[in-house]
Amino acid sequence: MNRPASSLGTARIDLLDPFEVSRLGGLELVSEGVVEGFLTGLHRSPRRGFSVEFAEHRMYQPGDALRYVDWKILGRNDRLYVKQFEEETNLRAMIVSDISRSMAWTGAPETTLTKLAYAQRLIAALALVLLRQRDATGLITFDDEVRSITPARARLSHWRTLLKVLGALAPGLGTAAEPALRRVMDRLRRRGLVIFVSDLLLDRDTALHALQFLRHRGHQVMVFHLMDPAEVNLDGPAEARFEDPETRATITLRPKDWADVYRKTVAGVVGNWYRECRKRGISYHRITTDTPFGIALRRALIQPSGIA
Amino acid sequence: MGFLHPWVLAGLVAAGVPILLHLIQRREPPLVVFPAVRYLVDTTREHQKRLKLRNWLLLIIRTLLIATLVLAAAGPTAPIRGAAGHSPAAVVVILDNSLSSGAVVNGTSRYSTFRAVAHRILARATSEDRLWLMLADGLVRRGDANQLRKLIDSASPVPLRLDLGLAINKAEAVLATDGFPGEVILLTDLQASAVSAADVRRPLLVIRPEDPESRNLGISAIDPGPQPWSLAGSRVTLSVTGDSALAVPVSIRIDDRPPRQALATVGSPVSASLGGTPAGWWPVRAELDPDELLADNQRTGVVRVAPVARVSWDTTLRYLAAACEVLVTNGRISRGNEVTVGRLAPGFSIVEPPSDPAELGAINRALDGRGVGWRFGEIVVGSATTDSGPLVGHERVERRYTLRPVGSGRTGVMATVNGAPWIVRSGGVVLLGSIVDPAWTSLPISAGFMPFMDGLINRVARGELTMAGGFPGVPVPLPDLVNEVRFGEHRYAVEGGAPFLPSEAGIHYLMAGLDTVGALAVNFDSRESLLKRADDASARDLWHGATITSPEDGPDRAFSLGVRSDLRGALLWAACLLGLGEVLLASIWRKTA
Repeated sequence: MNRPASSLGTARIDLLDPFEVSRLGGLELVSEGVVEGFLTGLHRSPRRGFSVEFAEHRMYQPGDALRYVDWKILGRNDRLYVKQFEEETNLRAMIVSDISRSMAWTGAPETTLTKLAYAQRLIAALALVLLRQRDATGLITFDDEVRSITPARARLSHWRTLLKVLGALAPGLGTAAEPALRRVMDRLRRRGLVIFVSDLLLDRDTALHALQFLRHRGHQVMVFHLMDPAEVNLDGPAEARFEDPETRATITLRPKDWADVYRKTVAGVVGNWYRECRKRGISYHRITTDTPFGIALRRALIQPSGIA
Repeated sequence: MGFLHPWVLAGLVAAGVPILLHLIQRREPPLVVFPAVRYLVDTTREHQKRLKLRNWLLLIIRTLLIATLVLAAAGPTAPIRGAAGHSPAAVVVILDNSLSSGAVVNGTSRYSTFRAVAHRILARATSEDRLWLMLADGLVRRGDANQLRKLIDSASPVPLRLDLGLAINKAEAVLATDGFPGEVILLTDLQASAVSAADVRRPLLVIRPEDPESRNLGISAIDPGPQPWSLAGSRVTLSVTGDSALAVPVSIRIDDRPPRQALATVGSPVSASLGGTPAGWWPVRAELDPDELLADNQRTGVVRVAPVARVSWDTTLRYLAAACEVLVTNGRISRGNEVTVGRLAPGFSIVEPPSDPAELGAINRALDGRGVGWRFGEIVVGSATTDSGPLVGHERVERRYTLRPVGSGRTGVMATVNGAPWIVRSGGVVLLGSIVDPAWTSLPISAGFMPFMDGLINRVARGELTMAGGFPGVPVPLPDLVNEVRFGEHRYAVEGGAPFLPSEAGIHYLMAGLDTVGALAVNFDSRESLLKRADDASARDLWHGATITSPEDGPDRAFSLGVRSDLRGALLWAACLLGLGEVLLASIWRKTA
C-alpha cells in the first residue's frame, strides 16, 4: 500500500501513515486527532439508531444524519438538535483486544508499527468515537488468558481510563481468545457491540465458536484482523529458519521460492475468515498496520463488513 | 573416451560447488522471528514434496551443468561413428598417382576418380586437423586442406611406381611424430604388383575401385644387346607384359628412322634388326598400339654405335687371351694396337697384377710414369665377393691386391669387393685387382665373363661406361668420372660417385667434361603395366586391420576410424539443454506454485 504523503501540517491526521502519526505524540493526542479528522470527513454519524422509541435530544454533531435533525427545534430556536432513540443511548460496546506475543511484532521496526501499537491507537480512536456517541465502552485484553477487564461506561471521561489501560499494555504470551470472549458475556448482559481486535493467529475454530455464541446472544460482533505487511508478502534472506515467537515452532525455507504460494495461502486464510464470519453474521475487516487509522475506522464503522 | 586437454578435468572439482553450497546453506540458515509460521506451514504442507524434488533436480542439473562444461573444455573424444564432427586428427592421404592410375576405365581415368574422392575427404577436414599428402613420388607434403586440394589438382599420373607397403610405412612414420590420433587413407587402384607388407599401427582406410580392372599390355623391356653396335647395326630385343595373351603389333625404331614391325606376346620376347647408323649415341623406341593405359605403350632405350676396339694381348695370359680370341671370332673386337690387354702399354691398357709380388715395384713405377692415379698395394688373401654393379655381378674373389689411390682422392672405381676398389680406371689405364684366374677369382669361369670382357675392352678401357637403365624417382649411382647429366634441354651438374635421381622417363646422357661417356635409359617400372588388382583378403593379410572400401563410401568413413569423434559440440549442446532445463524448472515451479 502506498503511504500518504508526510505533510502533517495540512493533511488530515487520520489519513496519514500510522507510523508517522504515532510519532506526533501520545496515545491520547493521536487518537483525538485521528477521530477529529475521521469525523470531519464523514457526511453522517458513524452509527445510527435502529429503534423508533424516542429517548432525548442532543446537539447535532458533524457526521450525524440529517434525517434525525429535529427541524421543529431548528425553526423555533434556530439550533440544530438531533433526536435519539432508546437503543442508541443504551448501546454497550466491549472491545476485546489480543495482546499476545505475536501482536508485538513488526516486519519493519523503522517504518511500521507493531500490531499491538497499531491496535492501541485504533482501539483508543474507536473508543473515543463510541463514547462521543454516548455508547458505553469497555475493554478486555487477553493473551493466553484474560489480562485486564475494564467495564463499559458511557461517560466521556471513561476514555481516560481506557487510555491508561491501553498505555500500560505489555505483550503477553500465547493466544487463547475463547476465555476472553466468554468473559464478554458476563459484561454485556444486554445486546451490545463486541469489537474483537487480533492478528487471529489463534485457534480459529474455537475463536469462531465463541464469536458465534456472542452472535447467538444477540450481540453485534466486529472482527478487526490486524496484519503486518510483512505477513502478507513473504520476504527475507535466500534461505531462513522462521520461528513462531509464541509456539517456538520453526520452519526452514527459501522465501523467494514460496512467496507466491504464501501470498495465496494468506489470501485463502483471510477469505476463509471472511466467509466464516459472514456466515455467522459477523463483520470482518482485515487491516494491515500500514493502513491509515481513518481508513481503518471508516471500513469498520461505516461499511457493515468487508475485507481490506 | 579420451581427452585432448586432460588437465582441464581437474575443474571437475567445481562440479561439487552446488552440492557444497547446498550443504553450507542447509547448515547455517539465519533465524527469523515470524508470527505467521502457521501460514508457512500451511503453505509448504502441500508443496513440500514437490519442492524437495525440485531442489534435488536443480542440484543435480547444476552439478551436471558444471561437469558438462568442464568435460567439454577438456576436449573429450570417443571412437563413435557417425557423430557430428571429429576431434583434431593427424591424417596422411596417400594418393596413388603412379603410372597405372592413368588407366581409363569406362571413359574415366582412375586418377580423376581418386582426385574427386580426395576432395570429398578433404572437405571433411577441419582447421584443427593436421594433414599430409603423399603422391607416387614418395614425398610427404604437409598443408591445410586448401593447400592439399591445390596439390591434388595440379598432380597427374606420373611414370612412377608406388610401393604401397613402403608408402604406408612412411605415412606411419610421419604420424608417429604427431600427438594427435592418426589415420592413414590410401587412395589406390590396389595393383597386386604394388601391394607389399606394411607395419600398420594406426587405422588404415583403403579406398579402391570396385569395377573390374581392364586388360592391358605394356612394353616391359627393350634390350639393345652388346654395346657398342658396329656401324652395320645390330638387333634389339623387346618384351611385353600385361594381362592379355593376345599377340600385339610392336613398332621399333632407332632415332627417327622408319620403324620395324613385329608381333609380340606376353612371355615371348621379339627382336628386330636395326642398323646402318653412323657412330654415336642413338635412342631406340618401341611402341604398342594404344590401349586403356597409354603411358606404358612406349619404351625407350639407347645404343652406342662405334667401331669395335682394336686389341693386342699377351698370349701367355690363359683366360684373358682365350676371351680375346673368342671376341675376335665373334667380331666384337679386332686385332690392333688401340687397347692392350694384360700389361701396361702405350694407349689404352688393361693391366693384370703380377703373379710375383716382387714385380709390383716396377709396375707401380711404370704407372707413375703414365700419370695413373692408382697403385697396386699388398696382397689380400681371403674369400670375398664383388659388389654387384653395371660392369660385374657377384663374383667370388679369393685373392686380390689392394688398389691404392694416389694424390687427390679416389676416382675411377669401376668395381669393388666389400667396398674396396677391385677394378679402377685412370688415365686410359684399367687396373684389375686380381689375376684373371680361378685361383684368384671365379670371374673367368662364370657366365658373365665374356660380356664382362666385351664391356671392359670396348667400353671401359676406351673411357666409356656400360649402358644403364633406371626408373623415375629411383636413385642411380653414377660412375666417378661423370660430372654432368644431360636430359633434353636440362643439364644437371653432378658429383661423380653420388647417386642421381632421375625424375622423368627418357634418355639421360652422362658427361665427363665434353665427352659423352654413357647413357641412362630411364623408363617406367614394367610392373605398372600389370593392372590386376590384389584381392581384399590378401591386402588385409598384409595390412592388418585395414578397412577396404569403395570410392563411394570411402569419404564418409574418413576421419572416423582411428580419428575419434569430437564430443565437445555434443557436450555444449547438453550444457545448453541443462541450462534451459534449469531455467524452465525454476520458472515453471514459480508459475505452478
